[in-house]
Amino acid sequence: MRVLTPSVRTRLTLWHAGVLALVICIFSAGIFLFVRARLYSTLDQQIRADLATIEKVYQEETGDLGELAHRMGITLFRVAEGETILYQTPDWPPGGTTPYRLGTLGDASHRIAAARDETAVRETLWTLGVILAIGAPCAIGLAIGGGYFLAGRMLAPVGAMAETARKITAESLTQRLPVGNLQDEFGQLASVFNESLARLEEAFEQLRRFTADASHELRTPLTAIRSVGEVALQRSLSAAAYREVIGSMLEEVDRLTRLVESLLTLTRGESGRIQPALEIVDLSGLAVSVVEHLRVLAEEKEQSVTIDAATEVSATCDPAILRLGLINVLDNAIKYTPRKGTIRVGVRETRSGEAAIEVEDTGLGISAAHQGRIFERFYRVDQSRSREAGGTGLGLATARWAVEVNGGRIELESEEGKGSLFRIVLPRVVRARLGGT
Amino acid sequence: MRILIVEDEKKVAKALRDGLEAEHYEVRIAVSGEEGFFLVNHELFDLVILDLMLPRRDGLEVLTTLRKQAVQTPVLILTAKDTVDDRVHGLDSGADDYLVKPFAFPELLARIRALLRRGRPDQILRLQQDDLTMDLVTRKVMRAGRALELTVKEFEMLEYLLRHVGHVVSREMLARDVWRVTARATPLDNVIDVTVTRLRRKIDDPFETKLLHTVRGVGFVLRSERT
Repeated sequence: MRVLTPSVRTRLTLWHAGVLALVICIFSAGIFLFVRARLYSTLDQQIRADLATIEKVYQEETGDLGELAHRMGITLFRVAEGETILYQTPDWPPGGTTPYRLGTLGDASHRIAAARDETAVRETLWTLGVILAIGAPCAIGLAIGGGYFLAGRMLAPVGAMAETARKITAESLTQRLPVGNLQDEFGQLASVFNESLARLEEAFEQLRRFTADASHELRTPLTAIRSVGEVALQRSLSAAAYREVIGSMLEEVDRLTRLVESLLTLTRGESGRIQPALEIVDLSGLAVSVVEHLRVLAEEKEQSVTIDAATEVSATCDPAILRLGLINVLDNAIKYTPRKGTIRVGVRETRSGEAAIEVEDTGLGISAAHQGRIFERFYRVDQSRSREAGGTGLGLATARWAVEVNGGRIELESEEGKGSLFRIVLPRVVRARLGGT
Repeated sequence: MRILIVEDEKKVAKALRDGLEAEHYEVRIAVSGEEGFFLVNHELFDLVILDLMLPRRDGLEVLTTLRKQAVQTPVLILTAKDTVDDRVHGLDSGADDYLVKPFAFPELLARIRALLRRGRPDQILRLQQDDLTMDLVTRKVMRAGRALELTVKEFEMLEYLLRHVGHVVSREMLARDVWRVTARATPLDNVIDVTVTRLRRKIDDPFETKLLHTVRGVGFVLRSERT
């Protein structure tokens, strides 16, 4: 990061200065050529005026040619007729160290040549050239310096963001990047980063809770096994009592095994190692079979389970995984609905054309505070009650995974004391696509 | 019946030996792949229980070599790896059955019995224990001359228990063989427990002698009350 920031800054500056240098060079050359052309054309005009004056004098008073020098200030000219020089000023022909500009006029009978000193023009052009040659690099230098400074100012938020980001670790995820102006690109970038950080923080927090919960869940049966075993060894027991002890320990082992297996299934599922084998599934049939599967549990609690699956609704999903999800949702409903309660399982099409399986109970309901976290692993609304009910705390987490891996979502509507409605929503299969199968 | 156990974990090996000897099998233990390979080549066994994670020589390698030498002894693999790939790989290498650790001991016994029984199909039409009879053709269950009304699942569970009469049946076995569900889940365990309770209400409660017993922490067993 540290290398990248100045490099962007330098690149910005160089591009900026390069473009400016090009513009200045073209501009300077333009000025120089324009001034030069103007100066020379003025000089040429003067020479042409001189020639006209000389011509006039030649035509009218040839003898007065000698007086032109001090009367008109025309000091350098020659008038010739053929090979005969009629008149020429003493300094003719111009030459030596001083530069001259020459003009001629004439016809077959005579030729007039006049010249003017162009030192002044050359000096002016020279001065201009020097000014431009010194000024342009200065301007470019200023552009580089200013550009570098400005680029630094503009990129400063990036540096600040990098500095903060470097300090953020898994332990300090609560920190956020400084957001300058929300309207500019850097402000937006920072706020986008901050949103990602918030999600990361949430994920880490969930992981932390999960680790704590998992170790608690795993330790509970281990503690039971250990203390039951240790206490039993403190004194001699009858064979029957030993059987009791070992049986009790084995029960805890069984609980551990189930826990580890459920966790493995979930972890494998969430890491994407379980690929759903998609097929077109009749959800009504699936719901009926799941209800029949668990009906004995409801019957034991004298609950009535009704199925409301009049219309045939199909969805594309993995039937085994979806079944696992629905079993967990229905089991949850049976568990938290009191004796003689009612559970309704409905299969229908939602208004937006998706397929939905609803499990509605007249149970305890879930307060709004718990609704957001009810699908988290090991999350329990009431610690003691759910453990008594014999759950692993993974049922609804498994259900959510099972539904989401099939491209669906699971919704919850619940009011405390009245009951809950879990809705598994899956994309529906369009019947036309079945093509008469 | 002689069984060879190839297992490097000493506690597990000892527990297996004790458990199998209690069932009147003759057991040898090999603690490495090399030793197992040597024993199979020099002694005669009816069954090999092979752990996959072994020091020096991998279990699968031993198995492959044995099958190349045309050793036909049935092999039951034990492993902590339980992905489908691992299973397929194990069975492809010539294993006859596959059990994932941690396993329930009654399940291991059932698998061993099944492997040793292999090739001797049983055409049983009627199962019986004491005064309880089950006719597999008419699907009638009678106890002490009285007909009992069982649901489909209760019937299947009783049939399974009668086929394993005297042997403990674990919840895993019932889940897999009666409910045909591979993944173990809490709801199913509850379903199994409830079904057992209801079955007991029908076949045991009205009678003096109890037949269906719970072995705490292990599973269920069908036998006469005497222990």
